[in-house]
Amino acid sequence: MKRPCGAGALARLRAADIKSRDMHDRPPVHRARKHFAGGGARATWVLLIALIFLPALAHAYAGPGAGFAVLSSFWAIFVAFLYSFYALMTWPVRQLFRFLRRRNAYGKATFERAVILGFDGMDPELAERFMKEGRLPNLAKLRDTGTFSKLRTTFPPISPVAWSTFMTGVNPGKHNIYDFLGRDTSNYLPYLSSAEIRGPKRHIKIGKYSIPFGKTQIKAMRKGTPFWHWLGNAGIFSSVIRVPVTFPPERFQGVLLSGMCVPDLKGSQGTFCLCTTRASDDKFREGGVRVAIERKNGVCRSYVPGPDNPLIEKGGELRADFEIRPELGSKSARFVFGSEKFTLKIGEYSEWLPAEFKAGMGFTAHGICRFYLKGLSPEVEVYVTPVNIDPGHPDLPISHPVTYSIYLAKLFGPYATLGLAEDTWALNEHVLDDDAFLAQAYGNHEDRERMLFDALDKTKQGLCTCVFDTTDRVQHMFWRYLEEDHPAARDVPHSQHPPVIQELYERMDRLVGRVMEKIDDDTLLLVISDHGFKSFARCMNVNAWLHQNGYLALKDGKTESGDWFDDVDWSRTRAYTMGLNGLYLNIKGREKQGIVDPAEADALKGELQKKLNGLVDPASGTVGITGVFIADNVYRGPYTDNSPDLIVGYAAGYRASWDSVMGKVTGQIFEDNIKAWSGDHCIDPRLVPGVLFSSHKFIEDKPAIVDVAPTILKLFGIALPGHFDGKAWTLAAKAH
Amino acid sequence: MGRVVAIAGFNLSLLTSPLAIVIVLSLVVGLLMVVVFGHTSDQKAIGIAKDQLKAHLLAVRLYRDQIPVVMGSYGKILRGTGRYLKLAFKPLLYVIIPIILLMVQVDRYLGQTPIPTNAPFLLTVHTTSSDGFNNATLDLPPEITMTAPAVHIPAENEIVWRLAGARDGKYEVKIAAAGQSVAKAVCVGTNLVRISTVRLRGHFWERMFSSAEPALPDDSPIESISINYPDRNIEIAGYGMNWIWLFFILSMIVGFIFKELLGIQI
Repeated sequence: MKRPCGAGALARLRAADIKSRDMHDRPPVHRARKHFAGGGARATWVLLIALIFLPALAHAYAGPGAGFAVLSSFWAIFVAFLYSFYALMTWPVRQLFRFLRRRNAYGKATFERAVILGFDGMDPELAERFMKEGRLPNLAKLRDTGTFSKLRTTFPPISPVAWSTFMTGVNPGKHNIYDFLGRDTSNYLPYLSSAEIRGPKRHIKIGKYSIPFGKTQIKAMRKGTPFWHWLGNAGIFSSVIRVPVTFPPERFQGVLLSGMCVPDLKGSQGTFCLCTTRASDDKFREGGVRVAIERKNGVCRSYVPGPDNPLIEKGGELRADFEIRPELGSKSARFVFGSEKFTLKIGEYSEWLPAEFKAGMGFTAHGICRFYLKGLSPEVEVYVTPVNIDPGHPDLPISHPVTYSIYLAKLFGPYATLGLAEDTWALNEHVLDDDAFLAQAYGNHEDRERMLFDALDKTKQGLCTCVFDTTDRVQHMFWRYLEEDHPAARDVPHSQHPPVIQELYERMDRLVGRVMEKIDDDTLLLVISDHGFKSFARCMNVNAWLHQNGYLALKDGKTESGDWFDDVDWSRTRAYTMGLNGLYLNIKGREKQGIVDPAEADALKGELQKKLNGLVDPASGTVGITGVFIADNVYRGPYTDNSPDLIVGYAAGYRASWDSVMGKVTGQIFEDNIKAWSGDHCIDPRLVPGVLFSSHKFIEDKPAIVDVAPTILKLFGIALPGHFDGKAWTLAAKAH
Repeated sequence: MGRVVAIAGFNLSLLTSPLAIVIVLSLVVGLLMVVVFGHTSDQKAIGIAKDQLKAHLLAVRLYRDQIPVVMGSYGKILRGTGRYLKLAFKPLLYVIIPIILLMVQVDRYLGQTPIPTNAPFLLTVHTTSSDGFNNATLDLPPEITMTAPAVHIPAENEIVWRLAGARDGKYEVKIAAAGQSVAKAVCVGTNLVRISTVRLRGHFWERMFSSAEPALPDDSPIESISINYPDRNIEIAGYGMNWIWLFFILSMIVGFIFKELLGIQI
């Protein structure tokens, strides 16, 4: 599960806290890329010949243009030479230093290199099915020559939780991530569990301006030490790409590009924009805003909303204006956005474009976004992706070192940096259709592949790991086509269901094949997923159940609450739920208006566990909850105080309802899920293990994601830290 | 009133000073060249080539402990530089010819100063035949005087006269040889005037770049007539430099500014 149901609302709710306010005083980047269509070859040759016969002063002046070219290229060579010279000269000294400090880093290593491909949400049952059908030859080869197994996931089986466990080798009680959201006990409101971003503390007032003085403060909420830090301490280099919950990036010996939980430029987890001439007061439930397009004399004008103006209190959001001129026939339109001019056909995406939001006083926030032309007649409609942090000009650090994101942007062009880069909400809200969503998701995926192969080329020794989110997002949004009678696809005959998920697995298999071509027997290849996947056909509002069973009370006269417990009477409420699997008691002395005596908490937990476990959906007669787990029994460590009191494990086909996730009490407990978001994994963790494929055989009965970190450290000959919860797998033999 | 005229005259002289001319010229040429470069180059390709170069530079830094990566990146930087120069070559062709022609003309005015009044200078004549060499005579206007007898260098068919100008102005000296007479302009004084250092017979390209006078007749026994005008230095902060260097530096600066303002990749 990637995008929590509450992500958009969370963005609005916590906007003041999590804005990206680090707006540097840098000049705008002009990236006009004009195409020169004229200038024939003949003219070039005439000029070339003429030049040969103009010997006297030709050498005397290069001028702006040619002069710059010569100087710039000379400068590049000069700097490269200096760098190379420095690297060459100091290399023996550094190697000697490392040798003396750590002896030979790879001396005890079983492998020269470990490559870990993270396919978020790859399901072992589907993988097995497609392998049996012969669709995944490369994964089948790994299965036959190495290892294929289910990989036990975390409680709960949510990506930020599972990937945090993957990298730290500990249970959530030691890394402090239990969900996308945590809850603030002082006001029952949610906060982003992975990172906290605050603007500079001090401001200088100049007239109407309040200029931030100092750095934006980004606090990592995930605790624990990623295993690549241990590798780095031993002198082993790592390339880590888009592993979730690596924002803010931490220092270590290697390079890292942050993944899931990187905010957009507004500070949210992704806020798309639909610009339209269609008059409507409707608001999107989550994740997006509607902006009016004004049409005058055939020219349409609108804007992309940006972050709030950090220089003026209540200065409103910053905007980046754009203009659309529909072309004849209304099949395409000419766009002007900043210094960019481009034409889009209906149903076509632009490239990533620089979006600059000028706050005044020379402060500019730098982002990138893509435009998608939805239609021109009768209404003009344009979808704009969330404004991502510009990787080539990051206003917030999204990589370690900071130059790594810039390096990738220069090498491959701009790319999505938002943690939840695939806009699932736009598809949920019917702003994007299936094809447009897939084009966006696979566009991001291809960028990620390029980064992976570059990292493979650059990391001949050490660790190379890359997480691909496409597997998760596409399964979330297209599971409806995998089943005959999913409520979200009942209007499409089963025979017409496109094989989207099958094609997704085939694509991932081809990627594995290409990676296998790049590695030898001295490289360990692991393909893992953090959890599997199941259908999400029915929603369950646990808050509604708590209300109907007397555990949660509404204010007098209310039958439903608003989002985030609006109208909940806390003085009579003993339990509540928010987020995807967590259930909390309203404990006296912990919650601000707590009423449950801590001494009675265990009994209440047991009571709720007993009543909820095996809860039956009256519409179908099937069990909706297959397990309720008391946190004290599944978590241990210094951060268990922040955990939910109970973890609700839904049955396959069920999940927390969209309202329940957002702390809303409704009248109905069970209802159909008719959103495109039709597959999920935030259920009973025993039902959604991930996958483990390995190029080499491991002897392990029940491998778990918590074991990956200790296994990698052991294979590199590094002593395991005592606090690890996972255990290292035993290698059977090297495959040939 | 007289003071006003004096100030106006002073300002006018500032505006027509060599320094002012070079500054204005640099501004105009810098802007024009950037615009021309922008329209005659593949901006997208240049942008990508530059980005790639920067990426490989960063790779050297990011992977500095991995010598094969560093060396590989160094190779890519060299290749990238070649690609970048190739992309810059076409617009270079478009801009360099008009620039050179312009510079040649400007150099007539700013390259040298006229001969100072009463200062000696050398008039050098090259002949093609011994007849011309032995019988060459000089016919001077009253304002120009000969300050030393002619020096004959037979090995090079060269005759050198040392002359001096008594008053500011543009004069003609006439050289007669083998029954033919040709003229050479001489500029004396301090004004900013068009100067021709040499008059040539034939030598089309050399005349294009060095001479501001018509060619000598084809049948003339004289091959060239030259005057050693002093080079002009433009003073900037106590340093004298040739106008071309100043033009080069200023136009580069202007170009850098305009490329940013106009969003043109160079």
